[in-house]
Amino acid sequence: MGEVELSCRAYVKMYLHACLFPRCGINGLLLSSGSAGGAVCVTDCVPLLHSHLPLAPISQLALTQVDVWCSQTQQRIVGYYQANACVSDSSPTPCALKIADKISEQFDNAVLLMLDGGKMTADYRLPPIVVYERRDSRWLLKDKHTIMLRHWEETQAIAGQMLESGDQALLVDFDSHLDDITKDWTNQKLNSKIAELASPANGNI
Amino acid sequence: MATISEMYDVGWEEMRDKLRKWREDNCRNSEQIVDVGEELISEHASKLGDDVWIIYEQVMIAALDCSRDDLALTCLQELRKQFPDSHRVKRLSGMRLEALERYDEANKHYEAILQDDPTNTAARKRKISILKAQGKNAEAIRELNEYLEHYGKAAFCLEELMMTNPHNHLYCEQYAEVKYTQGGLENLELSRKYFAQALRLNNRNMRALFGLYMSASHIAASPKVSAKVKKDNMKYASWAATQINRAYKLAGRGTKESKCSMKAVEEMLESMQITMS
Repeated sequence: MGEVELSCRAYVKMYLHACLFPRCGINGLLLSSGSAGGAVCVTDCVPLLHSHLPLAPISQLALTQVDVWCSQTQQRIVGYYQANACVSDSSPTPCALKIADKISEQFDNAVLLMLDGGKMTADYRLPPIVVYERRDSRWLLKDKHTIMLRHWEETQAIAGQMLESGDQALLVDFDSHLDDITKDWTNQKLNSKIAELASPANGNI
Repeated sequence: MATISEMYDVGWEEMRDKLRKWREDNCRNSEQIVDVGEELISEHASKLGDDVWIIYEQVMIAALDCSRDDLALTCLQELRKQFPDSHRVKRLSGMRLEALERYDEANKHYEAILQDDPTNTAARKRKISILKAQGKNAEAIRELNEYLEHYGKAAFCLEELMMTNPHNHLYCEQYAEVKYTQGGLENLELSRKYFAQALRLNNRNMRALFGLYMSASHIAASPKVSAKVKKDNMKYASWAATQINRAYKLAGRGTKESKCSMKAVEEMLESMQITMS
């Protein structure tokens, strides 16, 4: 199947989401502002939950709201990410498969991305992600060569830097938004910070 | 580096009180507990009186959470000296071994406790945590079921919790979520009732408000309900929608940022109303 490209902004926010709740399972949605054909460019993500991932009402609510926001901002939901609480196990849970299935009903080339907690150490060179795609009604591992992170070293450096500065505390996921609805789950502030740190010469990062 | 007391201009009593509050609220803000607790212990241990032991325990657990084995060991050693035969301290030793991923040794500690005192639930729970950490989910579930043999599944557990904690809106709301997830008309109606109850206990619980809106909307949209039930649920949904809109308008007033989420909610509520009517 097709190529998937992960932007700096999407990766950094997923990473910070996992770092903000190191003891919990976390999940979120992958978004694209690109056109429908060709490679899937994941340009952004929305962190959703850090508690009770398999319970339906809040997941449904979040999916609906993000869907609405996407149509207001010319984006689409193209995938789903999750990090399990247990670091040694990065396989997709039934809940992950269910939500990913739902997303692929609306978008053919949807991706399911699992963050591999065991590989998120500072000295690990490669992106700590495992990506799945839907083939023959099942979620199967995607060929590593079809997964691209442009400027990976810079992205990794930005993520590390923001973690050092404690910037993950700025991240708002949908769960936190429900605890205090003045908090913004679109994370505009964090997006600006990431953009500042990314080198201006790289343009669309 | 500046001390906590210098940075925040607090005295040791305030630091001690903060630790107590975090204990009472069961917060797992381990980094903060380590920062405050470590300083309190090293500079002011003699002033803490008998509180020092429970603080050692609290800081030790937080230290494990932050990979501060040096600090955890210091606390543990103090506790061992003071309470040499204590099961509670033995459990802490076990937890440290778990943090170091020495699971077999940790298990031995817990089994020793259970030999002595088969009703020690703390040790039983730690054994289950080890199974979870090792990814042995099937076994963890089996052990958990044994432990909960009088309780059964999640919904039943929550029912027990609600009975013993009738004012806790969170259990109520969680129970409603479980029922909603189980699905089916009967469960949806139950979930709606419990979302409503959670709201009575805390009218600011947004999850309960949204839950009420969604469950009532789904019931109203079901072809299996009578006209009266449909009408009633549309009323509940409509009430909930008004409350949600009001809450978001209020939230939107201070900050620019929440405008995105506010608009998303407005449109979502509108679109759901269209599908209902």
